[in-house]
Amino acid sequence: MNLILSDRPLALTVQSTSQVRVIDLSALSIHNCVGCFGCWTRTPGRCVIRDDAVTVYPLIAQSQRVLYVSRITYGGYDTVMKTMLERAIPVQQAFIRLVDGETHHLQRNVAPKQAVILGYGAQSPEEEDLFRRMVARNARNMNFTRFQVRFSPEEALEAAVEEEVSKWAVS
Amino acid sequence: MGRILILNGSPRAPKSNSKRYAQLFLDCRRGDYLEITRSNHQQLCAQVGAYSDLVLAFPLYADGLPVTLLHFLKALEAHLPAHKPTVSVLINCGFLEYGQNDIAVEMVALFCRQNGFPFGSVLKIGSGEAILDTPFRFLAAGAVKKFAKSVAAGRYASFHTAMPLPKSLFLKASAAYWTEYGKKNGISEAEMRTMQIESS
Ligand SMILES: Cc1cc2nc3c(=O)[nH]c(=O)nc-3n(C[C@H](O)[C@H](O)[C@H](O)COP(=O)(O)O)c2cc1C
Repeated sequence: MNLILSDRPLALTVQSTSQVRVIDLSALSIHNCVGCFGCWTRTPGRCVIRDDAVTVYPLIAQSQRVLYVSRITYGGYDTVMKTMLERAIPVQQAFIRLVDGETHHLQRNVAPKQAVILGYGAQSPEEEDLFRRMVARNARNMNFTRFQVRFSPEEALEAAVEEEVSKWAVS
Repeated sequence: MGRILILNGSPRAPKSNSKRYAQLFLDCRRGDYLEITRSNHQQLCAQVGAYSDLVLAFPLYADGLPVTLLHFLKALEAHLPAHKPTVSVLINCGFLEYGQNDIAVEMVALFCRQNGFPFGSVLKIGSGEAILDTPFRFLAAGAVKKFAKSVAAGRYASFHTAMPLPKSLFLKASAAYWTEYGKKNGISEAEMRTMQIESS
């Protein structure tokens, strides 16, 4: 499965299907992670907060390709995307292993994935650079085997998304 | 002498490690301590300008700032105080390597540059989830003390600490830590190791 996760509505010609799921996080109700570690130590693999996030992280886990569309704030994801990514830690175990010599969590059934992260709204090249380096760190925690960071003006997001999705069709 | 405000940006602030690190700070230098909640942003924004130094104490979340802190920084950007305190960072992360906090520290520094706040000292703590309840607590306490002194004296600098364990030992120690955590909730290690996510 492939997944497009966006922090804003997108007018796409691609329709959400069982092959390509398109999710607009801004239309969902997602509370912030409260840091209780219930998903590791109380109900392993399940978040104790039963809102819309629990329908999203299983899709993240299953996807071989993900395309995340997010506004950039202070060199990171803005709050909508960040809230969802924090709520996705049930896909990991509490237990730790080494990844490239660094300590990281073991994953549950999480497909290794190719990720494209499409950021918009950065104020400067230095902010884009920081965002790029953050995604490189995410790759180790989120099971990305390959990733690409791309920037786009907000008005051109749809075109950028369609272009990335057309690459999925041929590869 | 300046005044210091420590703001806790952990989503579980009342029961957080950040609070314990903040307490270690206040054990050696005077300051006020407040927790960021969903509903107190306006009030905090109004108070920040009365201090010479603002210390943001928070955990690393998904390689960045926890949304609790992110929401507050956006509110602060929208309600900038007339006087801008120097912002210092006291960050802790679960993994062993304190360097995993670097990106989040840079995010706060970028917030400061974008909004005209001077940037001050940094303390990066690795193995921050567990270190306070191990024999290495003294290392964390010592590092917080140096950090607190630097903030109070306005001699800003960067510090770091973590458990001085080889990675293989850290893996074992953390497995024991989490297994015990689960056990207290009546969950076995095998249950914690489930590969299932929700019910699939
Ligand atoms: C949603 C979530 C995301 C986290 N992400 C990271 C991470 O990317 N790297 C890391 O080393 N620790 C991570 N942690 C672990 C916390 O940083 C660690 O447990 C810390 O001690 C929590 O501090 P606090 O009690 O002050 O909130 C994460 C924890 C949670 C709940």
